[in-house]
Amino acid sequence: MSDGPGAGEVPDTIRELYPFLYEGSTEPDAVPAEVMHAVRDKAAELIALRRTVVAACAGQIAACAGAMAERFAAGGRLFTFGNGGSSTDAQGLATTFLHPPPGSSVLPALSLTSDAAVVTALSNDVGFEWVFARQLAAVGRRADIAVGLTTSGGSANVLRAFEEAARQGLLTVALAGRDGGRLAGLDVLDHLFVVPSDSVHRIQEAQATVCHTLWEVTQQALGGARDMVRGEAR
Amino acid sequence: MTETSEAWEGAVHRVFARREPAVHGIAEQDWQLGEVCRDMAARFRRGGRLITFGNGAAATDASHLAVEFLHPAVVGKRALPAMALGNDAPTLSGIATRDGIAATFEHQLRAFAGEGDIALGISPDGRCRNVHRAVAAARELGLLTVVLSGGVREAAPAADHLLVARSADPLVVKEVHMTYYHLLWELTQIILERHESVRTA
Repeated sequence: MSDGPGAGEVPDTIRELYPFLYEGSTEPDAVPAEVMHAVRDKAAELIALRRTVVAACAGQIAACAGAMAERFAAGGRLFTFGNGGSSTDAQGLATTFLHPPPGSSVLPALSLTSDAAVVTALSNDVGFEWVFARQLAAVGRRADIAVGLTTSGGSANVLRAFEEAARQGLLTVALAGRDGGRLAGLDVLDHLFVVPSDSVHRIQEAQATVCHTLWEVTQQALGGARDMVRGEAR
Repeated sequence: MTETSEAWEGAVHRVFARREPAVHGIAEQDWQLGEVCRDMAARFRRGGRLITFGNGAAATDASHLAVEFLHPAVVGKRALPAMALGNDAPTLSGIATRDGIAATFEHQLRAFAGEGDIALGISPDGRCRNVHRAVAAARELGLLTVVLSGGVREAAPAADHLLVARSADPLVVKEVHMTYYHLLWELTQIILERHESVRTA
């Protein structure tokens, strides 16, 4: 049944205003039960995934944060990059270092997707594969840090960026998903954190935790007198 | 040195563990998330667009959210119209210089938005003045209003839907917000698909 009772007499203008009144059996106010189940399933999946990541990578995350702190102490700067949602996550990471919550050390960081002129010029003239590598070639220095995020592990521009970063001696830190993709076979990486999930969303959520942990432990390693257990709401 | 490494590793475990109560909080908001998506799906079905905004690190979430809807990471899912107001740095800095930062998102919303649209503001502590003003303007204009906040519930602007992350740590709040908007996207897709299958049945 596609139309509700009396739909024939209703002028189009009214139907447009209140389309649900004339749709019959679809019950606009009902939220499907599968929606509620999905929320609980995804939350449980996320908790399990983060536990898997910390069990496998805690030591390496700590070591990576220590190495990042050494780079910052030596005057190094952080460059971050990724595509799509991972580009915004890379930007978020740079912002967290550069403009951190009150009471933390301000550290130099830049996301390589924030300048549309540079991104479109390099993509148009050289090729999208080189959009991050070329920027690192221009502004990267030996003491710097390159952090790239990808859920697939296969983004060509992220791979090229790491190759260029490694060539210059930057600390290279990669976050990938699934089985690590092509990044797993890249021998130039100092640190590779693979989030073993097939869900792009859960991968990004666990990667955000890895990034925030790197930030927090870097702050601690730099001797920032921060209370590591900041106030939780409950 | 080894002691230091162990201390840092311990810190890593504690940072991860600190997330879990907040994720349990998301699971307990299942009904509320469903209601937000029901209303968002209704707007999308009538041609509404999603307009997102936030400050600082939350601005990156507003952008992530918009690209999620506009160009889904999951192949084959329907693309939905969305835009993030924080991407236009020249306009933002122009408004902020002339009228103050509190005027930023409201100015853009009033110029862009239609009454069928959805305004989604992100304010990690609920106190961002420009988010407050933009959400108030959106309500006045007839948009569906959704706010993601954290910490003290009462600090957040009045909206049709308010999702509060149960943590006072801004980084934990940011991660909860990411899970919120991934779920908003996924549940909205489920509801739209379901609606379509009912209509074509």
